[in-house]
Amino acid sequence: MSVFVNKNTKVICQGITGTQASFHIQRSLDCGTQVVGGVTPGKGGSLHLNLPVFDTVKEAVAETQATASIMYVPAKAVKSALREAVEAELDLVVSIADGVPLKDMLEIKSMLKGSKTKFIGPNTPGIITPGEARLGIFPENIHNPGDIGIVSRSSTLTYEAVLETKRAGKGQSTVIGLGDDILIGMDFIDAIKAFNSDSATKAIVMIGQLGGAFEEVAASWYKKLKHKKPVIVFIAGNAIPFGHKMGYAGDIITKGYISVQDKKDALSDAGMIVVNHINDIHLELAKLQ
Amino acid sequence: MNIHEYQAKKILSRYGVKIPKGMIAYTPNEAREAADKVSEKGPWVLKAQIQSGARKNGYFLEKDAGAEGGIRIVTSRRKIRANADEMLGSTLVTVQTGPSGKKVNRIYVESFCAVEKAFYMAIAVSRVAAELTLLVAKDYDGDVLQVALTKPEKILKVTLGLEEKITSEQIAQIMKFLKLSQRSHKSLERLVNSLHKAFWENDASMIEINPVGVMKNGELIALDAKISFDDNALFRHPDINLLQDDCEISEREQQAAHYKFTYSEFDGSVGCIVNGDGVALTAMDLLRDKNTGTACFINVKGGVDKDKIASGIKIIMTNPRVEGILLNILGGFLRCDLIADGIISAASEVGLNVPMVVRFEGTNQARAKEILENSRLPIIWADTMEESIDKLVKALEEAA
Repeated sequence: MSVFVNKNTKVICQGITGTQASFHIQRSLDCGTQVVGGVTPGKGGSLHLNLPVFDTVKEAVAETQATASIMYVPAKAVKSALREAVEAELDLVVSIADGVPLKDMLEIKSMLKGSKTKFIGPNTPGIITPGEARLGIFPENIHNPGDIGIVSRSSTLTYEAVLETKRAGKGQSTVIGLGDDILIGMDFIDAIKAFNSDSATKAIVMIGQLGGAFEEVAASWYKKLKHKKPVIVFIAGNAIPFGHKMGYAGDIITKGYISVQDKKDALSDAGMIVVNHINDIHLELAKLQ
Repeated sequence: MNIHEYQAKKILSRYGVKIPKGMIAYTPNEAREAADKVSEKGPWVLKAQIQSGARKNGYFLEKDAGAEGGIRIVTSRRKIRANADEMLGSTLVTVQTGPSGKKVNRIYVESFCAVEKAFYMAIAVSRVAAELTLLVAKDYDGDVLQVALTKPEKILKVTLGLEEKITSEQIAQIMKFLKLSQRSHKSLERLVNSLHKAFWENDASMIEINPVGVMKNGELIALDAKISFDDNALFRHPDINLLQDDCEISEREQQAAHYKFTYSEFDGSVGCIVNGDGVALTAMDLLRDKNTGTACFINVKGGVDKDKIASGIKIIMTNPRVEGILLNILGGFLRCDLIADGIISAASEVGLNVPMVVRFEGTNQARAKEILENSRLPIIWADTMEESIDKLVKALEEAA
């Protein structure tokens, strides 16, 4: 088992004929992902990487019964590509694009409300269930199947967390990068909820960072959870001085200032295992039964 | 991207926000002429145009710039030129600029507007809810961050739709919160709707009016204005893009922005080259635990262009604060070998005269290590993030 994607997940790729898409789709195919087709408007009817290309997501879904999409479309095209995916009622869409306008994300978030589509990203390495499905840009060679679920707001620290599971002699059930833009699609609660009810996941590693209140909201949700799997959490950004331009200026007045320490306190109060150094994660993992 | 107050006011007034009459001046003579045009008898307000809040309580580094701050109320026409002369070309330091301050190249000359009371209004994005939030603050002395930290009950938050106008219930709520008289009702509604429309149509990430003044007749007037635009949406607004003031950001920041890398400066001694803000934050935390500060970091993201990466690395290598370099790359999209090539080409141009610790993980890591080993650059290798920090701190101690 795993969450959101596995070896049976049929995946289409939006923007399949681009260079980066071709590179990454080939890698995803090589590591077992069931990519069943692609979408590039105007190139429908052709073959790319031996996969059928369609003009629209709707056609692709009708022909292939795909339920998920990995988009390698430029940031400015994410909104319209996502609208297509939502209208085709896909279960899951992943966007790795860096630089999606804030306004587009506001509209995307409003579009997703009341739809069945879950959106991971943007600006994320994506989602990977090792050995089964890779939707994104993960270096698949550092992953190995196992029973630790990983969810991270920081792209590159996701890889760091994966290496920590390895150091503890463990592997990953599914790894989810949420992305660290001002607005994100899927959040910690969606991910932890899924891991918590996944029979193959024994424990969860969560990576948060300064900015936004995503961690605190997850903490108060987790606190009320009846049956909870252990969550080991690391939060980056303690050394950033108050008021530094990093992050979003609106944060402080929209929610009051929340320091990294405040986040850690909230998470630990909720019953999560908070580590101070990212390289301490493997020590905590090793302690788990 | 931020713009100056006078530019923000100009944009907002196009949307129907009332602003005092004002003109921009680059020289003392222009200031004098502007004063004549904006008000017959004064008083006038001379406002230093640097992109910072708290200008009034700031001070100038130069002694001959006088003891007053960056916002001056001048009652006599004869003193306009002298005050403008003091401010122009001088360096204004505020709590937001840091000790080196910012040079004042232009001043905004405004007609002084008497108000009965003032409040704060802003539109920002609430991240978790993914909504637009209107913020209104009362009973504060200008520093809204302090209010947010210490008296959150003095801030009212109202959720706005993305494009719909504010509801009459919401307006009533704000009226009550601010204890405004009925005379201000129309003006308040117009102000909120104008700010909202300006935010939405221009891809702003935040708009702040600090403060809004309430005039004797109940009308609301924006005495200050700040607009931050979403960098990711500037491609839709070529006109706004032109407003970027290059004097406002350092040359290194400009270079990094040119290559679409993120670059941040702090007051320590280590330069970090990473491919993710999270990695940078983590490295900074670990360095701080070892009593070592970060000078700057550059996030080369998922770069695929070798020359751009080399230019990014050069920005770190040539920062005079940098006494040691930490390179931590976890390659996914980004290939480690491109980084290795970038290091060599940057080092061959500007030299590598400080200790450099390198840790590669992920795509093409072995090839990257091989490239650097063949280059004979004095690289210190590390396998984990912690090890990279330990080795760099040790190298810094040895170099000292």
